[in-house]
Amino acid sequence: MSPKDKKLIMVGVVVCFIIAIMAPFIASSNPDGLEKSAEQLSTTEESGAYQAPFADYVIPVLGDGPFSGIVALAIGVLIALGLGYGVSAVLKNRNPPAN
Amino acid sequence: MHIPDGFIPLWQCAIYYVILAIALYFSLRWARTNLDEKRVPLMAVLAAGIFAIMSMNVPIPWGTSGHIVGGALVALIFLAPEAAVIVFTLVLIVQGLFFGDGGLTCLGANVLNMGIIGGCVGLYTFKALHRPIGKVPAIAVASWLSIFIAAEAVAVEMWLAGTFPLVLGLEFMGLYHAVIGVIEAILTVVVILALEKLRPDLLAWNRKNKTADLKAEGSEVTSK
Repeated sequence: MSPKDKKLIMVGVVVCFIIAIMAPFIASSNPDGLEKSAEQLSTTEESGAYQAPFADYVIPVLGDGPFSGIVALAIGVLIALGLGYGVSAVLKNRNPPAN
Repeated sequence: MHIPDGFIPLWQCAIYYVILAIALYFSLRWARTNLDEKRVPLMAVLAAGIFAIMSMNVPIPWGTSGHIVGGALVALIFLAPEAAVIVFTLVLIVQGLFFGDGGLTCLGANVLNMGIIGGCVGLYTFKALHRPIGKVPAIAVASWLSIFIAAEAVAVEMWLAGTFPLVLGLEFMGLYHAVIGVIEAILTVVVILALEKLRPDLLAWNRKNKTADLKAEGSEVTSK
């Protein structure tokens, strides 16, 4: 990886972490547009067939506070980064034109 | 606008999974010819960034909230909706699997709305408008429209699923996301202008001009 690409990843991760740190303070706990529409228009409920380990972006052992939310988002950012890197590395053009 | 489990009957979920499979087939083919080594870190950063922005619900009026999506952003950076399909499939799997945001049974529908529709509306609106109204206004309109149309697609799917009445669903989803679309447009313009300034080589439209004479001269950086 070139130094420029390392810098891109560093800057990207820093920006994501800043969003993660701010999120618990600015993010709204109001229902989102879809849930709100559902409340107003329908009786359908979320089925809850699958229980995610960090549902609602909190880490259960860390409680419900902002710290828990920050850790949850930071973990998610790193998983998405790793998965994005791994999958693109596998999918990419294996025989690039020499340049 | 992540559709949770239970909002769409399973047989309809299956149809959306078929659409996802077809989209992934074309996207993987796109990646094999167009995704080179240099763009792997970019894909990784975009996946992380899209995860971050989609996980944060900003408050909007009427006691509700919403998040920006970024489908137009990914499609515009690569000039390919296929890139958005790959990024959104990955991010929505992470959000559904670990954070319970968006149902896993609705993964196909969620990728359809945010990745496929978001990416295609964003890219093709930009392509239609960038000459008549200029690049930056075109990016803004394209990204606003991408989230608005994606939200209306959710309303149509909710109607097909028997969850929402059609007209009211279109009104509510459209209203909420017309507001969020303003933030979406600002973000998309800011990120693309920042890339244009700091890493113009990562934007596909800067590369396109050069591929024609790529064989003649191997340098991508000199023309800055």
